[in-house]
Amino acid sequence: MGEIFNIFQGLLNGFDIALSLTNITFALIGAVLGTMVGILPGLGPAATISLLLPLSFKIGSPVTSIIMMAGIFYGAMYGGSTTSVLVNIPGEAASVVTCIDGYQMALKGRAGPALGMAAIGSFVAGTIGILGLTFVAPPLAEFALKFGPPEYFSLTLLGLVMATLLGGDSIIKGLIMVVLGLLLGSVGLDPISGAIRFTWGLHMLQEGIDFVTLAMGMFGIGEIFYNLEKVLKTELVTRKISHLWPSLKDWADSKWAVVRGSLIGFMIGILPGGGAVISSLVSYAVEKRVAKNPDEFGKGAIQGVAGPESANNAAATASFIPLLTLGIPGNAAIAMIFAALLIQGVTPGPFLITEKPDVFWGVVASMYIGNVMLLILNLPMVGLWVQLLRVPYSILAPVIVLFCCVGVFSVRNSVFDIWVMGIFGVIGYIFRKVGLEPGPLILAFVLGPILERSIRQALLMSAGSPAIFFTRPISGALMAALILFLVFQVYLNRRKQRQRGKG
Amino acid sequence: MHLAMGTLKRPGPGFLPFILACLLVALSLALIASQWKKGDGKAPFWPERTWLRPLLGAGAFALYAFLIDLIGFLPTTFIFLVLWMWIIESISWRRIAMVSVGVTGVLYLIFGYFLEVPLPGGIFS
Repeated sequence: MGEIFNIFQGLLNGFDIALSLTNITFALIGAVLGTMVGILPGLGPAATISLLLPLSFKIGSPVTSIIMMAGIFYGAMYGGSTTSVLVNIPGEAASVVTCIDGYQMALKGRAGPALGMAAIGSFVAGTIGILGLTFVAPPLAEFALKFGPPEYFSLTLLGLVMATLLGGDSIIKGLIMVVLGLLLGSVGLDPISGAIRFTWGLHMLQEGIDFVTLAMGMFGIGEIFYNLEKVLKTELVTRKISHLWPSLKDWADSKWAVVRGSLIGFMIGILPGGGAVISSLVSYAVEKRVAKNPDEFGKGAIQGVAGPESANNAAATASFIPLLTLGIPGNAAIAMIFAALLIQGVTPGPFLITEKPDVFWGVVASMYIGNVMLLILNLPMVGLWVQLLRVPYSILAPVIVLFCCVGVFSVRNSVFDIWVMGIFGVIGYIFRKVGLEPGPLILAFVLGPILERSIRQALLMSAGSPAIFFTRPISGALMAALILFLVFQVYLNRRKQRQRGKG
Repeated sequence: MHLAMGTLKRPGPGFLPFILACLLVALSLALIASQWKKGDGKAPFWPERTWLRPLLGAGAFALYAFLIDLIGFLPTTFIFLVLWMWIIESISWRRIAMVSVGVTGVLYLIFGYFLEVPLPGGIFS
């Protein structure tokens, strides 16, 4: 009982912090920015948060800046659906599947219910996600106190592998990105011995490659170059959006999709390596399978909008759990928030809740508030946001490039970093062209130091025997999960290939 | 450059990079082999001059990074916007002028004024 009492006590405290004028203002800024980047194609939450990283000092205390960045992340989940439905381009990666049925609904003049259901589903799922975060995170953090270096190594490895294999279509390509990310992360001072690695004599590289520079290059600039290949037109299918409030039939059709989506999203979001993108894909597949008439899918089934849009919100919220309790970010956008916490001098991990309760509970409480803000921003005010889609990408693209340049410059007032970002931009462009996803690379880059420190400390503990990763119960269980997961993936791939061979 | 590998008992700074490099080689070979087996890599990498716009974009970017040190933030940003929208996107001149002036001003206001980033002044400083 004491535990529950502590949670309520903490949450109450959190609301006290989150309801201060400054924090409410920044939660609103986060929600607005998030909706905006969600709606705008070609600019995702990960790139936006990385853009704001250098400014996080100037924003204020750790709580305030994380409240805003969290708002951007879950806010983007709301905004993404708008573009998917109205333009048939995903405004944000986690809304890819929403295009399928959302756009069909819009073509049939049902853009209103599609957007309405997406917003309501997002709100319900987001709230379920936060409730989960509130009650799951504290006991999980307590459990994680038992973790030593071997456990951290196994868990990080599991997270990396899962993020890679769940996200992309090619296991080999995904793993290549992970290895490249880890190698990039090893540039600079070695965390244990202090030796200097891979700087080629450039003293600018001694502190390692800057995370902001890498992330903005790969996500921001790389994406722009890639989009330049084709002329991206954002043409609205319809100007008038009516009947935002779904009809009784729509409710009946989608209520279980929302519930299932929320649960799927939460389960996937909490996994190390899980995330909003994967959860929306899984939810769509599930909805199609359980539907009474699966033929409707692809022709404007509202469940195909309600399920995935709920799932991505629940997952976005749930992915804060591994970050705030274990200190392990599960996807690229959360990795940015991880970096923001580090910049502010807060090390996320099992001690966060007990040692920095203000940060943890303040952010959690702000999410309840932020979700209400987002519901208002995205339901009655959706018409305003649609205007944003009238800004052509041809103007947006150079502006985004400029924001990236000035943002990266401001980290340490160096033009050198602009060049480095440009190089990563070109690399990111080529990666996209050959089908290599930059997400796992960024994640590996962030997790690299944790992985390296833990493996070397673990080997020092065990006097060189790698058996330590398998003999300690928690680490052993994690390793077993990793192996099972790998075997399962290989099996799935084989089956897919065989089916392709037949068909 | 020499990074000690160390032993499994005392892993050195070269330990993880070495393992990673081996993994990378193995994975690359696996990727090459799997593509070989598929054998359908006939589609051109850049069909129908699609390389042109990304190349121009990269060029504009390089020009920006080069000029900002020489002539400072304000003129460089303005030139960059004009060039991008004129050469890459071919937007009407009136719009280019409006957007270029507006965006340069807003960027300066946000970063230079509110956030007090010491933007390069160039010859105008």
